[in-house]
Amino acid sequence: MSAITAAGRLDGRRLATRSAGRVLLWGWLLLTMVPLVFMLATSLKPSGIAKELPPRWLFHPTLEHYRSVLTGGSGTSVGFDRLLFNSFAVTLGATLLTVGLAVPAAYALSMRTFGARKALSSWILSTYMFPPIVAVIPVFVYAGKLGLVDRYPVLIVPYAAFNLPIAVWILRSSILQIPYEIQESAMVDGASRWQVLRRIILPLLVPAIATVAILSAILSWNEFLFALSLTRSAAKTSPVGIQEFTGMYGTDWGKLTAASSVIVAPILVMTVILRRRIVSGLTFGAVK
Amino acid sequence: MTRGMTMTSTQRGGVAVRDLEPRAAATAAARRAPGRARRRRVSGGATPWVLMSPALAVLLLMTVAPAAYLIWASLRSGTLLNPASSFVGLHNYREVLTDPNVLHSLLITAAFVVVAVSVELVLGLLIAVPLASQSRSNNLAATLMLLPFAVTPAVSAMIFKELLNPNYGWVDHYMGVLGLPSQVEWLSNPGTAWVALVGLDVWQWTPFVALILMAGLQSLPHEPLEAAAIDGASTWQSFRHVTLPMLAPFLAIAVTLRTIQAVKTFDAFKIRTGGGPGDSTEIINLGVYRIALQSFRIGAASALAMVLLILLSLLVPVLLRAVGRNANPEEI
Amino acid sequence: MAPHLGSLRRLVKPLGGLGAAALVMTAVACTPGTDESGSGGVGEAAAKPVRLRMLYATAEADATAVQSLKPAFKQRFGFDLEIDTQPYDALQQKVFSEFASNSSYYDIVIVDTPWAPALASQLEPLSTYVDNAALNDVAKADIADFVPKVFYDTAVYDAKHPAKHFPDSSAAPQTSAITGKGFEIYGLPIQANALVMAYRKDMFGNAGEKAGYQQATGKPLTVPKTWDDFTSVAQYFTRPEKKLYGTTVMAGVGDWATDDFKSLLAGWGGDGHLIGDDQSITFDSPEGVAALQYYQDLINKHKVVPPGSTSASWDEAASLFDSGTTAMTANYHTLKLDSKVKGEIGYAPVPTGKAQGPHFGTWMLSLNKNSKNKAWAYRAMTWLTAAEQQVAMTKLQLHPTRTSVYQRITTGSASDPATRNFYQVLGESLAVGVGRARLTNYTEVSNAIAKAVNKAASGRTSPKQALDEAAAEVTRLLKDAGYKVPGS
Repeated sequence: MSAITAAGRLDGRRLATRSAGRVLLWGWLLLTMVPLVFMLATSLKPSGIAKELPPRWLFHPTLEHYRSVLTGGSGTSVGFDRLLFNSFAVTLGATLLTVGLAVPAAYALSMRTFGARKALSSWILSTYMFPPIVAVIPVFVYAGKLGLVDRYPVLIVPYAAFNLPIAVWILRSSILQIPYEIQESAMVDGASRWQVLRRIILPLLVPAIATVAILSAILSWNEFLFALSLTRSAAKTSPVGIQEFTGMYGTDWGKLTAASSVIVAPILVMTVILRRRIVSGLTFGAVK
Repeated sequence: MTRGMTMTSTQRGGVAVRDLEPRAAATAAARRAPGRARRRRVSGGATPWVLMSPALAVLLLMTVAPAAYLIWASLRSGTLLNPASSFVGLHNYREVLTDPNVLHSLLITAAFVVVAVSVELVLGLLIAVPLASQSRSNNLAATLMLLPFAVTPAVSAMIFKELLNPNYGWVDHYMGVLGLPSQVEWLSNPGTAWVALVGLDVWQWTPFVALILMAGLQSLPHEPLEAAAIDGASTWQSFRHVTLPMLAPFLAIAVTLRTIQAVKTFDAFKIRTGGGPGDSTEIINLGVYRIALQSFRIGAASALAMVLLILLSLLVPVLLRAVGRNANPEEI
Repeated sequence: MAPHLGSLRRLVKPLGGLGAAALVMTAVACTPGTDESGSGGVGEAAAKPVRLRMLYATAEADATAVQSLKPAFKQRFGFDLEIDTQPYDALQQKVFSEFASNSSYYDIVIVDTPWAPALASQLEPLSTYVDNAALNDVAKADIADFVPKVFYDTAVYDAKHPAKHFPDSSAAPQTSAITGKGFEIYGLPIQANALVMAYRKDMFGNAGEKAGYQQATGKPLTVPKTWDDFTSVAQYFTRPEKKLYGTTVMAGVGDWATDDFKSLLAGWGGDGHLIGDDQSITFDSPEGVAALQYYQDLINKHKVVPPGSTSASWDEAASLFDSGTTAMTANYHTLKLDSKVKGEIGYAPVPTGKAQGPHFGTWMLSLNKNSKNKAWAYRAMTWLTAAEQQVAMTKLQLHPTRTSVYQRITTGSASDPATRNFYQVLGESLAVGVGRARLTNYTEVSNAIAKAVNKAASGRTSPKQALDEAAAEVTRLLKDAGYKVPGS
């Protein structure tokens, strides 16, 4: 039958396309790993050989940079362990707050009976357009005057505000992918909006929530400008601390790359954890 | 036995009905029960506002207050340490809009944004498609893919600068080994400087685009693709006519968010070129930074920020419509 | 139970647990930034504070050296000095944001010279402190001992006319003379940087090189004293096939390019400040064009600089010299050759032309007007900048600011010859150095000039054209900042 032969031909072509896709994917990954390999390698090289050309691939790795960074013996004012802890606390808080605020908001913005939804969606997106460099100026002035400096909430709330537009828009689009009939029939059944949200929407939203969590976490973890302005030493985060390894007169590459590797590691762990949640969320017709 | 749920989906103009196994009984029951069907009109009213209020509160706090301050500041000639100086009306706006450097910067920024975002969109899509299907190797791949996005931006910029150094950078060295011209002074010529800067941006932000598109691809229903395959469509055809239109809302978000972010690019350019050579890479934020956080002339800085804001708010709706044009208007 | 809810729970539970823990930790662990509850702190009899806080730079002002004094400080004063450090740009933002919010958190703040005109109103004037013997009981301010040019350029301003320089910059500083002319003292200098030339002593002393140079030019090989000699020596040492070049330049777009240019401009007899005290544009002059032409020729005609010089800054210049890629360099601090480069570094003043005026800039410690411990903060400042402490800190490469310290470390046999060499040259250079114009928007002006220098350096424009464009832009920038530019 023509359908069978067509299917056979298609499967062959599909296989070819899929292989091409994988080749492209892994090609991209290998290429993009180069700077990271540089970072890791430099962090393990003794200072003297870091700038050698051709780059030395066989060397005695040393942990001196990591030790120096983590024990704060490198002239930085706040120990790196403290900086990491602060970053962790702030990022966790900001991510939870973002998700906690964005999910209900995204649901609200998907409700067909909510007249203001288009206007509000646009307004939320417009808050994202504010250049942070200028937005930080009133923060300089007033945060200090109100004593709102150097505490975790002082970073958590602004970070949530920065991440909300991204979170709300991604979640909203995901919610809109869910056919409305399901919500309708549940509500006809007597379910309230809250119950619809909890029992129907939320489970289906898990992959999108995990995606939003990863994005929020990474963006909060690496935020520098507000962290610099709003912290002194108690709540100082790692992007601010890592600046101390750079300077006008030269960069301590060993310590800088060691510190960066240390900073990236928690994100790596978090991504692995969250990825498995995305995986275990939904499979589409895996076995029919 | 399937893990999770099996879903069938409603196609546009399609036939299958998406239902959840646990809910199927309820749905069927609802359909059968006479008289109950249209009784409760789904209420709008206060509920959506209640749901939105926490998010709104945070956003209002963090945007309305600073925005008000900045509008006030843009109409005065103040500096950070002396903000309440004389009212000067639209003088700052006039200064900003007649400054040839500002106009030049805006053009350069526009060019950068267009090129970078386009490349990231295409690459992001090409990566997201193979990555969207679940497999153990994909878990590793997805984690690796995200790493460039996870590195602190300032450090990435410094690493790239070091790699491209003509005297002891890896890139020029290995290019020489491969027989390509080595000793390229990447950041000393406008053309190569642009390649270097766009390259860093693509390296860093493609994962962001890919992640959003993956989320989109994973929420797409399976049936339309299968139906298209049965109908005899090739991979490319089913991708172009079935997958892409359904992905349109996510493409639109990715492009819009990425565009807004790209306009805010700063670190990479400051660390690597400072706007040079000459002023060929002088993106707008470099000037904003100088005025706002080095000269601390907040009047002029606020005016410039307002101008940027207005330009963006005119551009973004156009973008959303253009990219999401195949999507259900409800979804944009 | 539906598996999908289970997966949701699996997502939420660990996050929720961590979240609860984080909230608890937040409530318990973070300390609010309480202000010092000193007793007002201005009078000499003020009680000792619990601690003093200082905001400092990092490598630019040799933070390591200052931090090494902390134990001695504790011993002398009985309380701690807490030092927070940040590199330049971040430091500037932090300093300004602290002052913008009238914060009293930091008692002592480090100030770089270009920031001072904008900050003058926030810094405590020190002339009464200097004259008050009771406040100088721990260490004497002894301002007459500071290198005069450094002191006047860095610490002396007229708050009503911040753009003016003190007229007589060679007299030993004296409070009455300063206040008599309407100026005030706003800080005590702690780290003085000046443009200093470094060269490979081993290469210059090598017999083969000496013979070669004599043969090639008919003159003996010496460390160049004039810019013409400099070109000749640089050309001799430029051997691209051996990856060796004559010298470095910092022609990337940034403050460093402006500093390169102003040093050359002063060498050609022009005004190294670039802008006059009355905001007249003095760099767009025949001397400016000649100086920039020389710079352009070094890079494009004689080609004595390594690749990448037109995007280089301090960092690259130092790396290039340290890795043995150039025979000479000019920078603002001591250098250290990489381990695989077998050589020796010598220092010498930057070559001269008709005149000389190497760029210099100094960091000073200033007293926060909002501080609650002014008396003790002042005592800390005098102690940190005292001759004894400066001598101790030179072991960690601090650049002293006192004449007596320079005399001590350059004549004593205690320090090694290499260090002595550097400090001798630094001291000489400081005596003839030229600082910056005092503008509130100096960074923007400097950027406009740096762009011009970069354009000319890359050979894309002629020096005259580049400087003319820069002059037009700078005129506009000055007007935007509220200055009146004469002749425009």
